[in-house]
Amino acid sequence: MSFSLMDKILKNVEKPTRYTGRELNMCIKDPAKIDVRFGFCFPDVYEIAMSHLGLKILYHVLNLRDDTYCERVFAPWVDMEEAMRANNMKLFALETGDEVISFDMIGFTLQYEMSYSNVINMLDLAGIPLLSKDRGTNVPFVCAGGPCAYNAEPIADAIDFFMLGEGEDIICEIIDVYKEWKKIPDHTREQYLEMIAEIEGIYVPQFYDVEYNEDCTIKSITPNRPCAKPVVKKRIMSDFDSAPTPDKVIVPYGDIVHDRVMLEVFRGCIRGCRFCQAGYVYRPVRERKADTLTCLADRLLSSTGYDEISLSSLSTSDYSQLPELTDNLIEMTEKKKIGLSLPSLRIDNFSLELMNKVQKVRKSGITFAPEAGTQRLRDVINKNITEENILSSTAMLFRGGWTNVKLYFMIGLPAETEEDVEGIANLAQKVLDTYFEIPKEERAKNINITVSTSSFIPKPFTAFQWCRQDTRDEIIEKQNLLKSSIKSKRIRYSWHDNKTSYLEGVFARGDRRLINVICRAVKNGCRFDGWNDHFKFDQWMKSFEECNIDPDFYLRERGFDEVLPWDHIDIGVTKSFFKREYDKSQKAQTTPNCREKCSGCGASCFGTGVCYE
Amino acid sequence: MSNYVLKYKRGNEVKYISHLDFVRFIQRVIRRAELPMLFSSGFNPHPLINIALPLSVGVTSDGELMRIGLDGDFNEQFVMDTINKTLPPGFEIIGIKKVEGKEINFNKINKAIYQCNCELEKETKVDIPSFLSNTSLLVMKKSKSGIKEADIRPHIHSLECTQEKNNITLKMCIDAGNNYNLKPDTVIEAMEKYIDGFKTTFYAVHRCALLADDAELL
Ligand code: SF4
Repeated sequence: MSFSLMDKILKNVEKPTRYTGRELNMCIKDPAKIDVRFGFCFPDVYEIAMSHLGLKILYHVLNLRDDTYCERVFAPWVDMEEAMRANNMKLFALETGDEVISFDMIGFTLQYEMSYSNVINMLDLAGIPLLSKDRGTNVPFVCAGGPCAYNAEPIADAIDFFMLGEGEDIICEIIDVYKEWKKIPDHTREQYLEMIAEIEGIYVPQFYDVEYNEDCTIKSITPNRPCAKPVVKKRIMSDFDSAPTPDKVIVPYGDIVHDRVMLEVFRGCIRGCRFCQAGYVYRPVRERKADTLTCLADRLLSSTGYDEISLSSLSTSDYSQLPELTDNLIEMTEKKKIGLSLPSLRIDNFSLELMNKVQKVRKSGITFAPEAGTQRLRDVINKNITEENILSSTAMLFRGGWTNVKLYFMIGLPAETEEDVEGIANLAQKVLDTYFEIPKEERAKNINITVSTSSFIPKPFTAFQWCRQDTRDEIIEKQNLLKSSIKSKRIRYSWHDNKTSYLEGVFARGDRRLINVICRAVKNGCRFDGWNDHFKFDQWMKSFEECNIDPDFYLRERGFDEVLPWDHIDIGVTKSFFKREYDKSQKAQTTPNCREKCSGCGASCFGTGVCYE
Repeated sequence: MSNYVLKYKRGNEVKYISHLDFVRFIQRVIRRAELPMLFSSGFNPHPLINIALPLSVGVTSDGELMRIGLDGDFNEQFVMDTINKTLPPGFEIIGIKKVEGKEINFNKINKAIYQCNCELEKETKVDIPSFLSNTSLLVMKKSKSGIKEADIRPHIHSLECTQEKNNITLKMCIDAGNNYNLKPDTVIEAMEKYIDGFKTTFYAVHRCALLADDAELL
């Protein structure tokens, strides 16, 4: 009789099902009969990772292949990491429990900048050399994708190659090439990277030399061999309706963040808010047909046993077949006695009627995101929502029995004045007034308004990519101004931690020099930076100092002629379009959405989607 | 509308699922099996699923029991097969009985048989008869009113031990159920206190059976 190390360790960690796999619909294969073992790494804890739709899609796509076994690899929570390190246990995959260092390839999905420390820490836990240049042929290839991959220069030296854009096709292409490469006698790592560098969407950082000016800005980014394209263009699924999507997904045992069937209705966003990276990088908008989605919903519900289904997109109301889809889904969910949730709906007559039809909607949380307090500033950021929209919608809601309104804003936006900050408080007050103008008998009791602000962070591939980010002191000042401008006790104010936003800003527009800081910070104990309880700002600042890098450098305003760290990446939307959008923002001019009028952003180069409707 | 009592195994693969998670899991399994669950009436209807004496996290079992209500009348074998088909490895339904009223009453469970595989710090002579000959075995025990000292001797009905160097296997029949629930962990704690040199470094618990009046309910 002997006990496994795992059993001994799991006795003393919280939520052991984070580490044991074996859930409903987990893919089981015999590793001995597989050519390629792939570890899909999500650099966060199980509950977050398992809520992510992209993981489910690529897990499905890879495991459809008989030659490949895709397993899940997540960041162990701090208690587990401690136990693993104490017992010399290496990072393992959930499906087989095998160490990932024996895999052929591991791929990180980069969903937010604050997970970079976890990426490095997971490599360390796996026993894989942190930097690409130090890896031999006996360790897996390390790749990465996801929204942050468009500018993942801060961790570029740790990644062998990036896959830019949507991964369904490209991930299969790199596996095909991997099998070819394996057959080559005396193959080298470099050889493989050279082979895949030919594939559209593959970015191999070590094939590009970055030169800096004396002031630390970038002088040039140049390919150092013929296979490396001067500019790497992202990939998209042109026919999204028929793009592969799982008809069964893993059903976790423990409680996760999004524990339900998620239907991906469309990709992209027609709106073009000037601060929103997601709105630009997923262009052009491509939809799935209502019929396709209805069938998919039915199959997913039967294969998972979930009792809730939710739509997933950047803005549900912009789905062109929404009435048809919701009719079908309401019928289905009533028959099966399951809940339907419809996030990111714009409030209008149609959606109100809809919400009344859907049984499981709680009459509490309704969210608006005006993002800015005055019409002028909303025009600056191209947020197409007016005060009148908000007030008439909230009036409708209050009459319909809702009493909990959340208003989301950003502070620190470009060209923001005191008046704009005060405008946030004024708008909240007007919403409150709207409630009191409704006769008592026509409204429910206990109105509750929450104003929530995050700090604006200029992101690459947005119209504001050149802008300066407010300092922490400026943000605190604005937060205080807003606090003192809110007069009513019925309006609550909550705000984001300025330290997290500061660091996120550094990494969002960071360059390759930051890798040393990240590795150092991990040594200094930083991980799970997205979790307030674990975020060690002081250690980060210490690490910057130790590496002699000034983080403020990355938050400054950039000139239009400056080489940006991501200039060799092409998302389809052109730099000249962003420049135009920036100029219009200076004049507070708005830009129509893709369905009203095409603004020639460049994404039509993909030959599909809303640009050709 | 009919009620079924199911007897099932929980293996190594699924032993870390907490009770709450397990109940939610079973609901999903029944939905997947496309069996029409019965819901409680009232403001917040929940499926009628009742688990006899929840298993602690980390414990495997050969004889768990649950009762489910289904909207319709189904053949026992059919229900068992349909559910088994949708269960992931580690779970298996091994017995089923359709019940009308309370002929299988989970409240009557008063004992359980456990097997514990223990790894000892060092090879120690384990003299069970002399351990059991103590008139009282006092250990700290969790109860509803907090942790306090309790005599567990009256609640141990049998205890056997086989030993191979520093590995021992304990088989015990102890009180279980709503009236008095003794955990095997507490028995091992008592052994560590009362047997000289007896110290476990790790042990795994397996529940063999739940008993009511010395017989299995199903
Ligand atoms: S090319 Fe026109 S329609 Fe297409 S995404 Fe850009 S702005 Fe929208």
